[in-house]
Amino acid sequence: MTRTLTVAEMTLRETARRRGVLVMLLVLPLAFYLARRGDHLGQSIRFVCLGLSWALSTAALFVGSAARSLEPRLRLSGYRTHQLFLGRLVALWGLGVALSAPYFVLIRFDQHDVRYGAIAVIMLLGVLVAPLFGLAVSALLPRDLEGMLVLLTVVGLQMILDPAGNAARVLPFWYSREIGTYAIDHTSVGYLDRGLLHGAVTAVLLLIVVAVAFGIRLRRRPHVRMV
Amino acid sequence: MRYEIWLAALTDELRRHGVGPDLAGHVVAEAAAHLRDSGEPPLRAFGPPSAYAAAVADSIGGPAQRARGVVGPVRLRAVDITKGYGRRTVLSGVSLTVHAGQVAAIVGANGSGKSTFLRICAGLTGADGGQVELHGTVGYCPQAGGTADFLRADEHFALVGAGRGMPRGAAVRAGGRQASALDWTPGGEQARQLSGGTRQKLNLVLAGLGDPDILLLDEPYQGFDRGTYLDFWHEVWQWRDRGRAVVVVTHLLNQLDRVDVVLDLSAGGAGVAA
Repeated sequence: MTRTLTVAEMTLRETARRRGVLVMLLVLPLAFYLARRGDHLGQSIRFVCLGLSWALSTAALFVGSAARSLEPRLRLSGYRTHQLFLGRLVALWGLGVALSAPYFVLIRFDQHDVRYGAIAVIMLLGVLVAPLFGLAVSALLPRDLEGMLVLLTVVGLQMILDPAGNAARVLPFWYSREIGTYAIDHTSVGYLDRGLLHGAVTAVLLLIVVAVAFGIRLRRRPHVRMV
Repeated sequence: MRYEIWLAALTDELRRHGVGPDLAGHVVAEAAAHLRDSGEPPLRAFGPPSAYAAAVADSIGGPAQRARGVVGPVRLRAVDITKGYGRRTVLSGVSLTVHAGQVAAIVGANGSGKSTFLRICAGLTGADGGQVELHGTVGYCPQAGGTADFLRADEHFALVGAGRGMPRGAAVRAGGRQASALDWTPGGEQARQLSGGTRQKLNLVLAGLGDPDILLLDEPYQGFDRGTYLDFWHEVWQWRDRGRAVVVVTHLLNQLDRVDVVLDLSAGGAGVAA
């Protein structure tokens, strides 16, 4: 536990020192929010939730990439693979809560006649899923640019595709559209259930991807025998 | 230069040049007596401390050869290591055995597979054939990278120390001690703000943190000035004297007469340990 928390602490320290990145992370979802606030308040909620997810995924992508050259040394120093990725995730989940809270407060006072509890659920699922998605992308694609293009494509598709279509359901943030509909349009609880199930399954699948990708990259090679 | 400062610098330089403590004490005492009696400025009397220490080291036939400790059990045994990239064979049947209390040097031309072999020994790169046995904990110093840009030195010490099971305070103190042996006092700078040589010092300190049994060092002296380069080898001898097995990738041959094992990878990828 100490090792996991040490990795989490150092990840937070590193991230806190990237002040420019932090400001952009905080402002980017606001741009999503303001883009549709004038003509469609409900849509601005859906967009800000996607914006938060994108910001957190991007942060996770850069955290994962920045740690790449250090992690083999940490493995040799005695860290287990799961301590390394869980430490990063704990830090990113904490960052996600800190990032999402002001936006929840904003919606709470700026929007009316919406289900605030459901909006909180979307944001919490975003805090859970987005860092997993960003870290999975960084584990599979070693270069930042490729990872950024994937994130951009996924979020773009998530906005463009019809949420009712099957293609949209395989995207990682589909739950946010589904629960968003429940929260904004006051639809039946089925939307909430489907969204929760999608978010939970996505989180589990992404955690497996992260664990397997980290496990392969940082595995002890079979030619080495520790005596 | 006041002569007390000059004498302190001379003491450091003699240590760097491998002059034993007894002889160094004698040389410093003689120089102090001369300066006191003559009243001459030390720079006029003896020149810069580094030059005078080098002259003393030369006059006694090079650095003092430490009394060699008893060679201990095997710490690293690599047998018949083979590695290729595509159709190009980089390593073919390379073997190396290093015992506790030994220093091994891996030499060879650029592209001969020195770093690849070290990474294979550390288990960071897979081998196409062969086996590596590691008897003990491993510290690894890469040629580049291996640090986090936005972390300070003490945070690196805490992070790596936690992996080795060291309490934070102990890790930071141990890191500071090892850094001072390389003539570096870590401050509040982040790794990205350090010069190339100082960053390598950080890398080297991290490799030795927690006193691992086996040290794998991949040209760790890149960017070191001459004094620090001598400090580095001084540290290597200290590790050896404490019973550690040290493997150094190097293309600088002037220290080879003082290492115990030389693995030459120049011969077409088939290493020869001598």
